[in-house]
Amino acid sequence: MTAVIEARGLTKSYGSAKAVDRVSFAIQPGRIVGLIGPNGAGKTTLFKAVLGLTQFDGELRVLGRDPRSERNELMEDVCFIADVAVLPRWLRVSQALDFVEGVHPRFDRSRATSFLGKTDIKMSSRVRELSKGMITQLHLALILAIDARLLVLDEPTLGLDLLFRRQFYDTLLNDYFDKQRTIVLTTHQVEEIENLLTDVIFINRGHVVLDSAVDSLPERYVQLTVTAEHAAQARQLKPFYEREVFGRVAMFFEGRTAAELSTVANGLGEMRTPSVADLFVAKMSGAGS
Amino acid sequence: MSTPDTNLSGADTTPAVAPPVSSAARQSMLTTMIVLIRRELWEHRALWITPLIVGGLLVLTAFPIHIGNVVFGAHHEDFARADNRLGMFTLLLWGQAVPQYLVMVIVLSFYLMDCLYQERKDRSILFWKSLPVSDANTVISKLLVAVVVVPLGVYLTAMVSGVLFQAIWAARTASGSLPKIAVGWDTVAWLKVQGLMLYGLLVSMLWYAPMAAFLLLVSAWARRNVFLWATLPPVIAIIIERAAFGTRYTQHLLEYRSWSGIWNVLLTDPITPESGHGRVVSLADLFDNTSMSRAFLNIDLWLGLAVAAVLLFAAIRIRRYRDDT
Repeated sequence: MTAVIEARGLTKSYGSAKAVDRVSFAIQPGRIVGLIGPNGAGKTTLFKAVLGLTQFDGELRVLGRDPRSERNELMEDVCFIADVAVLPRWLRVSQALDFVEGVHPRFDRSRATSFLGKTDIKMSSRVRELSKGMITQLHLALILAIDARLLVLDEPTLGLDLLFRRQFYDTLLNDYFDKQRTIVLTTHQVEEIENLLTDVIFINRGHVVLDSAVDSLPERYVQLTVTAEHAAQARQLKPFYEREVFGRVAMFFEGRTAAELSTVANGLGEMRTPSVADLFVAKMSGAGS
Repeated sequence: MSTPDTNLSGADTTPAVAPPVSSAARQSMLTTMIVLIRRELWEHRALWITPLIVGGLLVLTAFPIHIGNVVFGAHHEDFARADNRLGMFTLLLWGQAVPQYLVMVIVLSFYLMDCLYQERKDRSILFWKSLPVSDANTVISKLLVAVVVVPLGVYLTAMVSGVLFQAIWAARTASGSLPKIAVGWDTVAWLKVQGLMLYGLLVSMLWYAPMAAFLLLVSAWARRNVFLWATLPPVIAIIIERAAFGTRYTQHLLEYRSWSGIWNVLLTDPITPESGHGRVVSLADLFDNTSMSRAFLNIDLWLGLAVAAVLLFAAIRIRRYRDDT
């Protein structure tokens, strides 16, 4: 079985600063992977490497190809949205369809047109006349119509209101995603997408700090919420991060399951698997420092 | 460091790499190039609107223009002299064409400086790069637009405006508002002038290719102020050379490449069309004096093309590998 993206010792330096430092991971087909990290963690650099937009050291195969030397072939199978603002403002909707149809061997114009038919976007409009949400819809229409293997989304819903964001991800899941396809995305709105992710990769200061299927998070992480009077006792179980919420203390444990922890912490408080968003905060503020 | 462990087990066994597309499904090189060139004309509408406007305005000069009590138009006695008929006919064709080419040079210069800069400035380069089009094809399409497509388009508008101009004059002669023997149509002379201009245009495309490629390179390279980066370095080079060595080689080279050299390449005898003492040299005669092989045996023409190739290659590399957007 071939990974869609496979990185080994991937490093990218800007001068003496390392944006990405000896990163290794593999992304399998049919997954929706959230690449999550604070600003400046190296997410965009990683994407640029995957998309062949930047040079780097180390090994990286995307769909079995080297993005440095086989970029043109690769882009037939890879789609990406860098962020909402990059469609040229002078472009007409009809011209966008004409152009992509002209250069992309896997573009199905009727798919794009039928999606656009469900929106308020007119064929004769220029991008500059569209709202931010409509530009994203247009970009999404183009991408839905391309039969690609890998879709890379870098903050695709930045600056959009909740309705457009929700609609964006619903469309992606219902009309695009299937077992043959892989989606890798970054966003700061982790809570909104954590239900659709199958895998998460946390990245901080150029390093991968967590790489896991969402399904297997319960085998590795547990959150124990205790009242203040039990806090000292619970602390002896060595949580890697804790945080106070409404007078109670949430403690995060790594490398233990709820079943195993309950043998020692029985009755101290409630146990559950942390949400991706909470785990992200815990990993970024806790173990790393 | 994380290796793919947990998320692999039990995953499906679909191969990640799709079966290769059949060659029929792949877009041909020619189709891609046509689409790319069309894209340029969508974005830079001045490339085709300006020549149409200029051509249209020049056709209008066939009508007498009244400003106050002064009437501009064909009242010069040259037009009435029978022995000048052919010379004036070809000169009028030339007069229609030359302003259009001059405007074209200005429009193309700004186009070339803008086309690889604007896409970085508005970050739309990330959209173009998300499609399977190579940087080489993209940059070459822009050079082709500037060096082939637009010049041939202007050649056609100049041809049409020349014909329209003559048709209006013929109508005015027939209606009596111009002297009977003013300027008559001459098909052979017209064909010769068109041939001469097409030949001159083809040689100019090759001669000026290095300048076009230089502007493309600056457009791909400059972080800002493309215009200054395109114009200041040659000026500074000239000043430094004069100050340091007291010589003017850079200046002469630039003058040669931008203006004087092309005549040397084009014409057997370096004559320029001019109306002398009442007798106007026919540009059709110039056609007879032109040696086609001469231009293509000119070493400077080929050296220029070699330089253009190097500059083009550099522009492609820069667009491919710079990642500051």
